[in-house]
Amino acid sequence: MSSIITVKNITKEFRVNKGRSGFLGSVTNLFSRDYRTVQAVNDISFEINRGEFVGYVGENGAGKSTTIKILTGILLPTSGMAEVNGIIPYKNRVENSKRIGVVFGQRSQLWWDLPVRESFDLLKSIYHIPQDLFRHNMDLFIDILKVDDFFDVPVRKLSLGQRMRCDLAASLLHDPDILFLDEPTIGLDVIAKDKIRKFLKEINRDRNTTIILTTHDMDDIEALCKRIIILDQGKIVFDNPLSTLKKEYGGERVLEVEFNEFYESLDKVPEINVFKEEENKKWIKFSREKYTAASIISKITENYEIKDISIHEPNVEDIVKTIYGNLY
Amino acid sequence: MEIYIKFISKSFQKQITYKIEYFVGFINGFLYIFVFTSLWNALYAEYDANAFKSGFTKSSIITYAVFVMIIKISFSMDDQITTRKVRTGDLVTDLIKPVSYFCITLSECIGQTIFHFLARGLPILALSLFIFDISFPINVTNYLLLIVSATFGYLILFMINYIIGLMAFWFFDTFSFQLMKYGMYAVFSGGVVPVDFFPASLQSIVDFLPFKYILYIPTCIFLGRFDEDEVITALIGQICWVALLFAISKITWIRAMRKLVIQGG
Ligand SMILES: Nc1ncnc2c1ncn2[C@@H]1O[C@H](COP(=O)(O)OP(=O)(O)OP(=O)(O)O)[C@@H](O)[C@H]1O
Ligand SMILES: [Mg+2]
Repeated sequence: MSSIITVKNITKEFRVNKGRSGFLGSVTNLFSRDYRTVQAVNDISFEINRGEFVGYVGENGAGKSTTIKILTGILLPTSGMAEVNGIIPYKNRVENSKRIGVVFGQRSQLWWDLPVRESFDLLKSIYHIPQDLFRHNMDLFIDILKVDDFFDVPVRKLSLGQRMRCDLAASLLHDPDILFLDEPTIGLDVIAKDKIRKFLKEINRDRNTTIILTTHDMDDIEALCKRIIILDQGKIVFDNPLSTLKKEYGGERVLEVEFNEFYESLDKVPEINVFKEEENKKWIKFSREKYTAASIISKITENYEIKDISIHEPNVEDIVKTIYGNLY
Repeated sequence: MEIYIKFISKSFQKQITYKIEYFVGFINGFLYIFVFTSLWNALYAEYDANAFKSGFTKSSIITYAVFVMIIKISFSMDDQITTRKVRTGDLVTDLIKPVSYFCITLSECIGQTIFHFLARGLPILALSLFIFDISFPINVTNYLLLIVSATFGYLILFMINYIIGLMAFWFFDTFSFQLMKYGMYAVFSGGVVPVDFFPASLQSIVDFLPFKYILYIPTCIFLGRFDEDEVITALIGQICWVALLFAISKITWIRAMRKLVIQGG
């Protein structure tokens, strides 16, 4: 497999003026050498193959958006090299933009005052989309994203979820090879999120579109991504398949047990670790490398009166938190 | 090309949705014409035309006042587009598309201007014809020259706005530049008083600024106030300004992109 995105030792520093305000202030700022440097991205490297669905996560300010802006040609790295589709994005932004789709969840790329239909019409001309492809794609978006429900509504009057669906459709209208999604599910309700996830899954599967997804919602990652890249303060601290993440870091399992009566402690079963309690309920952690769930459960039932029990798989959110946690 | 024509037409449609702004603009435009023509009437009643040494008779100054205002009304455009996009960061959504930012912004402004010409300029002109004593040029050449000269004038105004808008990359606030432009455009463009009335010292300054080429020159050419040589000089002057401002626009854009790309603006 050949990689469609290559990032090699990219560093991006921002100069931040120790700002003076006002007109005179901004004039002085022009000539001022009085700034500090922020390292948004620090010597990152990765390769992404055609058709991959990659989750790109990290805490606020970790450098996710900065990376996406470099790959979409809006920012020039301070050092290092990036290639998208064989094109160096920041040297050839316009050429690059023809083959990629981008969604910035925080802002719409549609025309605020125009009805949705007309925004799509404009995009059709911008990307020189042939009529039959346009029709075909519109039918698909109408089918899955139900964008025709608000075809005649100006974008500014759409709800967040409706707008996001339109923005996603807009980014895919020209059949891009790569889709960059910077927080596409931000602020959406569970149903809207679910719709969007289903749609993305289909696009990735049916069109082999490479997708890079930035999000703070680990359920997005769990539902969609086969690979996860974790960024911390501008550095990549994890880049592996999601399954590896679960295997290596998800070493602990959680049992949720409801007892018939309240027990002060469960010290007859020393293998386990109670980390949360609520009336007669206890949440219990145990290492899944050392013990099987069956043996733990039978030990508990031997010693205590159980009403109900359930097992939770380690969830990605907790694991990612552990990874962040391990860094400090 | 097709795309820019579409941008023009969408921008035109968008204007139609601003109904209140439209009516306010209509009344405003007409009021301006009414006030200025009344002033000229009063002035010319008080003083003899020779007193001004400007070469305008009472009838020709009224005609000038009406036409210059019609052109000014038609040239209405949103001069905050770029500043707004830079400040909010929405410029990014244009940059991820394979389009020329200069051309889509120009298209948006042209759409607005076509609207203002058809919906405000022409009706106000028609209304003025009933009320004021206006003499129309009868020669077709005047109309052709108007189209050429007004196009140049329009490009000059657009590019001044465009360049000031791009200043938002370097200055937090472009308001001071805008303010300066408003003042100079209002006075030096001949939009209030024809440049001929200015004292000689002021005229020599105005000659070196682009503003008189926006309204004064197209109006005078249209009304046949210039002889052939003057028309040619005026058009060459306009072409020079268009070329110069275009070069400045390009350079400013390239520098703005470099700043954005390198520093993240
Ligand atoms: N234009 C800019 N000028 C100066 N500093 C910037 C600029 N853009 C980003 N930064 C800084 O770079 C760092 C990384 O920002 P970035 O937007 O990439 O983070 P992020 O991972 O997308 O965060 P979030 O989850 O909050 O969106 C931050 O410390 C931010 O303050
Ligand atoms: Mg971000």
